[in-house]
Amino acid sequence: MVQILDVMRKALEGKPMSETDYQLRLFAGKVAEKVKEYDIKFDPATPIPDDPSLADDVFKAAFDLVVDVGAYCTNTNRVISYTEKEVRNALQFAPSELWFGEGMDRKLMRTRGVGDKSPPWCLLGAGGGACSSDRSFLTLVEGYAEIPETDAITTPALTRVGGMRIRPASPLEVLGAQRNAVLFREACNRVGRQGIPVMNTLSTAESDIALAGALHPKYGLRQSDGYMICCMDPMKVDFARLNKVTAVLGIGGAIGMCFGPMMGGYAGGPEGTTVSNVAHHMMGVLTYQSSWLLPFPLHLRYVSSSCRELLWLISVTGQAVSRNTHLLTVNLNYTSAGPCTPMCLNETTASVTAAVTSGMHIESLGVASNKQEDRTTPVEPRVSAQVGHAVAGMSLADANELVLRLVPGYEKRLADPPLGKTLYDCWDPEARRPSKEYMRVIREYKRKMSGLGVPLREDDWG
Amino acid sequence: MSADKLLKQLQDSILKYDSAAAVSAAKAAINAKVDPLQAIEKGLVPAIEQVGEKFERMEVYLPELMLAGDAMKSALDLLLPLVPKGQKTSKATVVIGTVQGDVHEIGKNIVSSLLMAGGFDVVDLGVNVKTSVFVDEAKSKGAKVIGASALMSSTIGSQKDIVDYLRASGERRKRAFLVGGGPTTQDWAKEIGADGWGKDAVSAVRLATKFAKGR
Repeated sequence: MVQILDVMRKALEGKPMSETDYQLRLFAGKVAEKVKEYDIKFDPATPIPDDPSLADDVFKAAFDLVVDVGAYCTNTNRVISYTEKEVRNALQFAPSELWFGEGMDRKLMRTRGVGDKSPPWCLLGAGGGACSSDRSFLTLVEGYAEIPETDAITTPALTRVGGMRIRPASPLEVLGAQRNAVLFREACNRVGRQGIPVMNTLSTAESDIALAGALHPKYGLRQSDGYMICCMDPMKVDFARLNKVTAVLGIGGAIGMCFGPMMGGYAGGPEGTTVSNVAHHMMGVLTYQSSWLLPFPLHLRYVSSSCRELLWLISVTGQAVSRNTHLLTVNLNYTSAGPCTPMCLNETTASVTAAVTSGMHIESLGVASNKQEDRTTPVEPRVSAQVGHAVAGMSLADANELVLRLVPGYEKRLADPPLGKTLYDCWDPEARRPSKEYMRVIREYKRKMSGLGVPLREDDWG
Repeated sequence: MSADKLLKQLQDSILKYDSAAAVSAAKAAINAKVDPLQAIEKGLVPAIEQVGEKFERMEVYLPELMLAGDAMKSALDLLLPLVPKGQKTSKATVVIGTVQGDVHEIGKNIVSSLLMAGGFDVVDLGVNVKTSVFVDEAKSKGAKVIGASALMSSTIGSQKDIVDYLRASGERRKRAFLVGGGPTTQDWAKEIGADGWGKDAVSAVRLATKFAKGR
């Protein structure tokens, strides 16, 4: 089985190639070749297709792609190649279940299948969205920890320390990462859910030194948390990322490689980006030593994952991975619209439905393209989790029908979405509930969902 | 071969994203004594503009856009030195890169390619570019516009460092500074004193055009 020393050897001894040649000629060329060879076609009329042969063809194309292009190390400018046998072994030895968390909040993430009746793993929160202050960070994480469906939390990212904007790979980032860990535990302690794991460890630590600087147990991180390491698109890695991998392996942590292939980017359209998305799963297990995977495909223009192309991409990815492997895959979705808008709730409903019915777990979510500070609340992940639980077990055909009732209502606004309100405009941190205006939006949305045959759990706040 | 046919060859090389064909078309045009400025303006530019428009409509994707840009660069390397001094070949020079500590490149690459398609001379510094390098390169290349991309909330602070460095080195009034990338906003651009924020690649090109002659 390929391990970190093998990855390093390959990175040092692999075929030399310029980065431009790798991504524009080798990778992009091979993706186009596989799409053609396997005759993979996107159908806008069926955002959630029920076509096992399509899913299996995408998997085969992705497998071939990994064998053809491997990964690329930007420090050594060499291709990290894998044999067919190495890829098969990596898939065979990857875990099909993992424990996360402590005490009462310790839970088992298991592999899911298409149409699986078991609820998805709900990794809830901000998906690394920017927050302006320690106060906002605590407000948000307390809100996430109070969601009954929360299995794990994805925190926001701090942007300031000591009144100064964080600078990458600087003491400010190291201090920010340490503060990220401390504040996360503090927020969970405040609402009595001490054992919940953080699984985007650590959103504030983009650099390797910032992550390493926060790993000491005194900052509160645990072996039972999830350690997220972001891949460079497409299929690229550098020593800083491999440093993170090595540090996390050293403490026995479970690495989740996150990767966000852009539809319209290096892999081309929806078909190529789907093949790339599935291929990244395999590359992640090998290169990033990942035991769980965190895809977050986005549309290049909308920077969200709720348009027809992305729903198709998410669904086919989920089906391809869950039909052909036992990998633990967690889809992160982004909306274009912001809090306190029906569009935001409809967008996340569509994306979560595509993921959950196709065999994936969910990380929810990046709100309003995750661009603006404090433009997210605990409501959107709460609703996403309720949807995730409600649609578990739904057939692909029914899921397709459901999203076809939602998408026409917002797709024309994706390019210029309503950004809604900011955290404190529509969330009361003292009462720990949404504003009256947002409550009305939620009630109306839930009435609509009931009308569509998907009643969602009632919130305690009525 | 007629000048029209040679211009068509140049166009085709860009539309086929073929650097080798662009080089041989440029050589053929030079050997046939085609006016190099005409070769650029009537051969290369309309073709790269066409690719840019197709990309905007998502009829082609990033690889095609960047390969067309590469082909254009290959031909320009041969043609530009032959354009007599004083004859204008580009709107302006733009220095562009992803800020220090950030290795994300897709957004920057799209803007870079569309700027080239829009008639700018683009100096692409790549990713993880030191603050001082943006300013030094702008000075040495006579660029009126500097564009800095950042994708992470932890890296956009480096955009502020570039504005501050421009100010501290007495260069601020001479050059426009534009920002873009995932977590950036109009408010952020205003907060740090940038001249503009590119919401997307098209608006970035619009801003560069606005500041082509300086601030």
